[in-house]
Amino acid sequence: MIVASSKPFQEIKQMLSGFKKVCVLGCGSCVTICHTGGEKQVTELAVQLRLSAKLEGREVEVIEDSTLRQCEWEFIEDIKEVIKDCDAVLSIACGIGVQYMAERFPMIRIFPGVNTTFMGGPVEQGIFWERCAGCGNCILGTTGGLCPVSRCAKSLLNGPCGGSQNGKCEVSQETPCVWHQIYDQLDTQQLLATMETIVPPKDWTTGMENHPRKMILEHLVMKKQ
Amino acid sequence: MTVTNKCATPDKKINEEAPCILACPIRQDARDYVQLIARGRFGEAFRLVRERNPLPAACGRICTHPCETKCRRNSTDAPIAIAWLKRFLGDNFSEEIRKTTTEKYPERIAIIGAGPAGLAAANDLALLGYSCTIFESNSTPGGMLRMGVPTYRLPRTAIDNDVEFIKKLGVEIQYNTTFGVDITFDSLKKKGFSAIFIGVGLLESRMLNIEGAQLDGVLKGVSFLNEVNTTGSGRIGKNVLVIGGGAVAMDCARTALRLKPNKVSVACLESRKEMPTTDFEIEEAVHEGAVLYNSVGPKRIIGKDGKVTGLETLKVKYVFDEQKRFNPAFYEGSESIIEADTIILAIGQASDLSFLKGQEGIQVTRGGTIIVNPHNFSTSVHGIYAGGDVVLGRGTMTEGMAQGKKAAIAIHNTLRNTAIKDEKWAEKPAVPDVIPSRIAFIKKEQKQEMPTMPLDERLSNFDEVELGFQLNAAVKEAQRCMNCGAGAFVDDNLCVGCLTCVRICPFEVPKIKKGDATAYIDGDCQSCGLCVVECPAKAIDFKTPLEDCGKDALEAVFQEESIRGVKPLIINFYCQYSACNEDKIDATDNVLFSHVRRVGVLGLGKVAPSLYLRAFELGAHGVMVTACKGDICHFCKDREWVERRIKFISQLLGGLGMDPGRLRTHFVSSQNGKEVFELAFRMVEDIRNLQTIT
Ligand code: SF4
Ligand code: SF4
Ligand code: SF4
Ligand code: SF4
Repeated sequence: MIVASSKPFQEIKQMLSGFKKVCVLGCGSCVTICHTGGEKQVTELAVQLRLSAKLEGREVEVIEDSTLRQCEWEFIEDIKEVIKDCDAVLSIACGIGVQYMAERFPMIRIFPGVNTTFMGGPVEQGIFWERCAGCGNCILGTTGGLCPVSRCAKSLLNGPCGGSQNGKCEVSQETPCVWHQIYDQLDTQQLLATMETIVPPKDWTTGMENHPRKMILEHLVMKKQ
Repeated sequence: MTVTNKCATPDKKINEEAPCILACPIRQDARDYVQLIARGRFGEAFRLVRERNPLPAACGRICTHPCETKCRRNSTDAPIAIAWLKRFLGDNFSEEIRKTTTEKYPERIAIIGAGPAGLAAANDLALLGYSCTIFESNSTPGGMLRMGVPTYRLPRTAIDNDVEFIKKLGVEIQYNTTFGVDITFDSLKKKGFSAIFIGVGLLESRMLNIEGAQLDGVLKGVSFLNEVNTTGSGRIGKNVLVIGGGAVAMDCARTALRLKPNKVSVACLESRKEMPTTDFEIEEAVHEGAVLYNSVGPKRIIGKDGKVTGLETLKVKYVFDEQKRFNPAFYEGSESIIEADTIILAIGQASDLSFLKGQEGIQVTRGGTIIVNPHNFSTSVHGIYAGGDVVLGRGTMTEGMAQGKKAAIAIHNTLRNTAIKDEKWAEKPAVPDVIPSRIAFIKKEQKQEMPTMPLDERLSNFDEVELGFQLNAAVKEAQRCMNCGAGAFVDDNLCVGCLTCVRICPFEVPKIKKGDATAYIDGDCQSCGLCVVECPAKAIDFKTPLEDCGKDALEAVFQEESIRGVKPLIINFYCQYSACNEDKIDATDNVLFSHVRRVGVLGLGKVAPSLYLRAFELGAHGVMVTACKGDICHFCKDREWVERRIKFISQLLGGLGMDPGRLRTHFVSSQNGKEVFELAFRMVEDIRNLQTIT
């Protein structure tokens, strides 16, 4: 899933200053699951916005709504009526949803309420870790199912580096060294020999180096009339 | 997808019902009135009871409470005192009930007998829009309740209060009018009654067909009770023996004890375990001094000079045969004698159907009861209905009321040619027992004791033995209820399967079942509300409007005229679980009265952080959260959640530039004590001193 973190309230306030009617718009997918963009956060943000306006003696109308997924034209179509009198929308979907909204409703200012951060998951309730960098050429099959691209601070393909100490990454003591973990995992699987194969430099053009990427499923593409 | 109605697609299994409700013959809303008491909403609780139950004060005292037998709290510690709580309401509150209709129909209905069945039928027919007249052979209402139930269990004022309420609905009662003598089927028809409901009791005591039964000193149980109940005295000797093992036998024994003979004993066929009455009744009788002879059968009553001197008994081999039929067998040669100068027969009642003369079309059983259609309680003669003991043989008070209520609907349907149904009687699955692994998570809480009159005072009068719950005890008892089947539910349309509820529920209730994409909360939800607040998709809500998590109460505060212009205004969110502790603050105290408004929630785990913000938004100058101290939390985990949410919300308030002193949390031992008062007082003072408050 996509993980996003809440933007500081001050920043949000700044973005929305001057607008009289604002809609806080949640998304019912990834950002709901990571507790930053769901219905509950919509309410919390809306009441913060109203309260801050009240404290500063400003008049703002804040309405609340949410969609199933903001990254689908059909789902955001339903929002049209809700936001028609708004002069701004604070979308707390990931950056994809924000862009869909902005593209579909060019006459309304759309602002991001969260910082879209990474692809990952809740390793335990309330704690989310990055797990994939979207490199476009997955190597998990040779690394014991642990991703060095996203989980190694240096994205090393032949690790660990000399900074790995007691299983921790030299960049941050909080971060487990993924190469240490890969070693342990391959050891359990009696595949340690794989560690000795030098992995050649990766073709990064499938990844972030090659923006914007796209995928076409020919067999599903509907011919435009 | 814009979502407005969260309850639009209620959970598939929302219709699992609490077993306490299903066990009640009249389907009294036990859970819901208990839950209202737990929240201090007594008037509404009374109204809820009364709308279903025409005799709450009487029922709260003498009902055999099958609800408690089935209460799910049996598996954690002890059942909720559902009946005693009803009595608490009946004794202390009165509230207009909502009429189901304003319709007034021209038909008049005659009800024979002002016992539980007749009163219930009249009550419900009156509510449906009919004028009813009850014809009662006695000069007072209540039927068996009055004749057969001793005053120390059911003071007559309780019956009278209940009946007064029924009369206020427009029901007329004509006393001293015996059916079959003063009025007949024909005379009623001539008078223009469109339907007749027969709710007469079993007036005849069953006799023992043994030698000596005619001796002087042999009394009939119900006649004896009736005499003592009405006159306060009875003709007994010094050594009384009651024959029988049921409730009437216990009543006879305890009534006899109050007439102060030297000895009162009870002899019955059944072993102690088989006796057909509640343990409680037996224990009370023994506690008051009755001697029990179990597993003995009467062989003959012996006497001298025409007067009783004792009972010859045989030892019982078994009472019920292999087919579980009542078919007692005795050991030969096991004779022994229990001495007595008075023998009271309490071995059951029989009907007197002489009033049916001229109505041979009404079918009756060999046992002397009237045969009715079990669905609509109509007899084999059109327009004539029957219910209560004359149909049941010997039933309980609530069974009698249930038949009266069902007959009322049937009469209405026949007269109006409609098919209305009382949804409460619909068949529903019961919430299953608490699963064993969950019992450990549920806090054991002491059942409240019923205060009773001390033993030495009891036996010198006929005053009520059970004194009734005081308010605090009632609330505490009600707060033990687990709100079975009415807890949280997940709206499938909103749930995104994030697993938050599954992970945080302290009782491990929510599950995502194999093959499902959404969470499911079953009837075992304890109603702590944590998941309702934490679900990021707002997919969880409570099934009944009873639990609003403090939202409505907060909005209501700001509707009050009295808060206009009040500065500073403090909203105190408090946990109702420790609000019934003694040591009340004087509500008239000035500071508290004018500056503090309280929002009580049954467990602060139900309060969403955004609600604290909402209080400020609505105009509060301070928010004071008072949660329970230490480990007294009913849900065990709320404290932890209150702390983390307050921390979270304080950060948000900081971001808004609000003085941190405007949101305070305290953990206190009583929500109504001095401690809270002083904290509130201090907060008012501190906020008054803040430079700027908006
Ligand atoms: S190797 Fe690439 S695609 Fe695979 S998990 Fe890591 S970043 Fe994602
Ligand atoms: S705990 Fe409450 S709701 Fe559950 S069965 Fe007992 S009285 Fe009824
Ligand atoms: S917390 Fe809400 S969204 Fe998450 S699984 Fe439970 S019901 Fe579904
Ligand atoms: S309300 Fe409480 S007990 Fe019920 S499912 Fe949610 S967390 Fe569990």
